[in-house]
Amino acid sequence: MEYLKSGLKSVLGGPQPGTQPTGAETVEKLVHRVTSSTLLEDRRNACRALKALSKNYRLEVGAQGMDALRQTLEVDHADCEIIGYCLDTLCNITSVENFEEEKEGGVRLNVNVGEQFTEMFIKNPDNVSLVLSFLEEYDFRVRWPAVKLLTSLLSNKPKDIQEIILVSPMGISKLMDLLADSREVIRNDALLLLIQLTKANANIQKIVAFENAFDRLFEVMREEGWLDGGIVVEDCLLLMLNLLKNNTSNINFFKEGSYIQRLAPMFVIPENIEETGWSPQKVSNIHCVLQLIRTLVSPHNPVQITSVCQKNMRNANLLEVLCGILMESGVPADILTETINTVAEVIRGNLNNQEYFCTVNAPSNPPRPAIVVLLMSMVNEKQPFLLRCAVLYCFECFLFKNEIGQQQVVQTLLPSTNNNSSLTTGQLLCGGVFNLDPLSNWFSSVALSHTLIENPAQKEQLLRVLLATTLGTQPVSLLHQCATFLQQTTKLQSKIGLLMLLATWMAHCPPAVSMFLNVPGAMAFLTAQSSATEFDNNEEVLQGMCAFLMGICVVFNDNSVPNYSKENLSQLIEKRIGIETYISKLSDISRNEMYAKAAKQPQLKAKYPNDLLLEFEFCKLFKALESTIVKTLGAQKQLSNGMTELSLSEQENGLLLQYKDVIRDQDRRLQELQRELSKVRAEHNDLHVQSEEIRIANLQLQDENTLLKAQLSAGAVHPLPDNVPLIENGVGDDRDLLAKIKQLEGENLEKDAELERLHKDQDDLLELLTDQSSRLNAFKARLRELGENIEDDDDSDVNSIDENDVK
Amino acid sequence: MSYAYLFKYIIIGDTGVGKSCLLLQFTDKRFQPVHDLTIGVEFGARMITIDGKQIKLQIWDTAGQEAFRSITRSYYRGAAGALLVYDITRRETFNHLTTWLEDARQHSNSNMVIMLIGNKSDLESRREVKKEEGEAFAREHGLVFMETSAKTAANVEEAFINTAREIYEKIQEGVFDINNEANGIKIGPQHSPTNPSLPGTGGQGGSQGGGCC
Repeated sequence: MEYLKSGLKSVLGGPQPGTQPTGAETVEKLVHRVTSSTLLEDRRNACRALKALSKNYRLEVGAQGMDALRQTLEVDHADCEIIGYCLDTLCNITSVENFEEEKEGGVRLNVNVGEQFTEMFIKNPDNVSLVLSFLEEYDFRVRWPAVKLLTSLLSNKPKDIQEIILVSPMGISKLMDLLADSREVIRNDALLLLIQLTKANANIQKIVAFENAFDRLFEVMREEGWLDGGIVVEDCLLLMLNLLKNNTSNINFFKEGSYIQRLAPMFVIPENIEETGWSPQKVSNIHCVLQLIRTLVSPHNPVQITSVCQKNMRNANLLEVLCGILMESGVPADILTETINTVAEVIRGNLNNQEYFCTVNAPSNPPRPAIVVLLMSMVNEKQPFLLRCAVLYCFECFLFKNEIGQQQVVQTLLPSTNNNSSLTTGQLLCGGVFNLDPLSNWFSSVALSHTLIENPAQKEQLLRVLLATTLGTQPVSLLHQCATFLQQTTKLQSKIGLLMLLATWMAHCPPAVSMFLNVPGAMAFLTAQSSATEFDNNEEVLQGMCAFLMGICVVFNDNSVPNYSKENLSQLIEKRIGIETYISKLSDISRNEMYAKAAKQPQLKAKYPNDLLLEFEFCKLFKALESTIVKTLGAQKQLSNGMTELSLSEQENGLLLQYKDVIRDQDRRLQELQRELSKVRAEHNDLHVQSEEIRIANLQLQDENTLLKAQLSAGAVHPLPDNVPLIENGVGDDRDLLAKIKQLEGENLEKDAELERLHKDQDDLLELLTDQSSRLNAFKARLRELGENIEDDDDSDVNSIDENDVK
Repeated sequence: MSYAYLFKYIIIGDTGVGKSCLLLQFTDKRFQPVHDLTIGVEFGARMITIDGKQIKLQIWDTAGQEAFRSITRSYYRGAAGALLVYDITRRETFNHLTTWLEDARQHSNSNMVIMLIGNKSDLESRREVKKEEGEAFAREHGLVFMETSAKTAANVEEAFINTAREIYEKIQEGVFDINNEANGIKIGPQHSPTNPSLPGTGGQGGSQGGGCC
């Protein structure tokens, strides 16, 4: 500080005699100097002084100097030294943290000074671009403070800065280039900057990935020594996590770029780890890389992406390595827990990986399957709670969409199959369901229920399981024992666990329902719980669950138990509980915050044992069946509506009967009319065909007729009788045509007669003509005799005609 | 899994011209008739073979909307190839090519291979841009040209592969600096002396890779 003060003196000149200038005054003078000095050297000194004061007099420097500093960045951008001072000063005044020196200043403000100055600075987005451009300057004095300033701005106003950087040309490229800087401090700070920058912004995440982020980060991790590396490795992993979380495009890129294979060195655990122990940094690093793997195969990702990633992890031997860690001794519990969770998601729903997991053996003597060892931890009260949760999750994931796995577990419980004395998964679970630890009951019930999900065959197989409860008594079925234990236990967690198991078991499985209905007291217990009106903490869930199980008994009832048929049970619900109450009990389940928490993701996210009540797959079942149950109850109610008809009043009943008669009558008439209609239609069709035939015949006849007429007019009359039979054959019983034919015959006869008459007339006329010509000849002869000369021309003509006609 | 080269592509062009469909047809061999707006950028990848060499294509399909233009610009610099797509049934998408090209030339490295693509060639009846016009534009600006149909898959393979071949030839000619990853080209890891899954490797082995050419 003394040095700084002396420096200040040299800049500002000696102190005024008598009065010591206040901080504000000094800052004002310095700012004035920065803006008005013509010599670069002066401006530079003033900036250096401002930088020195920017921690102690942060408020003053920021309030008065912001504009001057910004101006300097533009004007003196070629001078690395002054730019360095400016950037450092800006960095100090926008810093998120409060400086110790600042407190000496006396003025304490509650507002976040750094954030306010950040807001002022970025009001003009060009300022940010300006700072970005300084990243291109290689000089350490410029580049390093520029990185720090951007980091500071980002932590104050992440969203705004992200948007500005996103649209500034090559903004992200410039930041990415920093990762290649040979000066570690810049590279490391750039990493921190990128972690801030990529938080919750998919567009930036994709660009950063496009700019070869993964290659560069793997390179950095390799240089740093992978797992043994320091916090830089953790930073690299954190950045990768940011890039991949909820970003399917980048996950796809990561997978396609074969980066999964390149994670393997992260899991090379030193041989001497048991001596050296797990340093906190190593623990952090491995946590991060486990997180990274889980992000790639998260159940929230699209299935096809997750399954390809799972396959790649198996092929890259990552799954093997992870299982190795599971069985390693001396691994800290939290790492072990997280590894179990990771293995869970790497195998979830992937048959190959599940099969591999099944074959993993613990290095114990004799070797036991890893699954058995894990389940032993799950039902062991002394194991850490989170570890036990992880084991359950892993077991669930092992059974997820894995019919063979489900079958194998159930198989170990079936009589006669297992004679060797080694502990099996089934035995562990059955023991867990009924032991004294409610948490074990819950875990084991849920685990067992997962052997039945979407697997009708195993639901029936499990019905065959018999338990020897006490020596000398008859063995009872597993389901029977569950129903009995449900009534006996006082622990809420155990009850809920059993109810979930029973619900999963009995849904879509009528034989299980009928076996349950035969358990003494079971139905009475459910009814009592469902109709209870008061409850303690979380007991509404229990009551809702009992109501739900009752509903399952109705929906999947095959009426094989006489007292509890579908109808009986519906009436029981209606009479004893009331439909309204029943439905509200059901919705109590989904209204509970435990339900909301459990339904969010397959993994159990409880912090404390008491937080465990509901489970993901059960929530799915509940969601699917709730409406079915309500609908079935409604339908049952309507079915029984037939009886309420009697309760109608006389008048209503009369009216109803009247209407029924009317409807019946109308129905009858309707049918009659329809019959008639079809008959008429058939007739109509026949007639249509006939008339068509007739039309054709008619046309033929008309043609013939015209032909006949033509022949007739030509005079060559064919004897009609020849044609008539033909026509009669073709026509059948057409009277019209017959009449017409008769008419035509008549006409024909008439015309024949006329013809004859004409012939006769002609003959008469011919006779007359001969008569006349003979008389003419006589006259001519007499005239000749009398000496009259007659012209021969006319005469001969007349003669020739006469001759012709006579002939 | 191993490849000789890795090329980065981007697909650009107006919204609705079928960029995402081209990518989907190329990577998954299927067609999606519903227009699902691309937000920001989507990634896809496929392996192809040129001259008997395995080449991995990493393709970034960008959003065509104006609002995403500044985001799209961030992808030019690191890409070795670009498919500039227009829709032959919409004249305006052809008219905007100049703007796209300017943008690309300004922000990309000068060697980036640009393939001009007239998409939707199956919709001949609604064609508004003649094939000759596309050819002329490509000739004028030194681009490779092709008409494709993401729906019928016509020429889709060819478009991506011909672009890769062009880049490959430029590498053979020594135009591209293959050791600079900012060019959008990487040399495959199989030239590394050891198994990549072992610690100690993971570098690109650029110098060893040089031997393959």
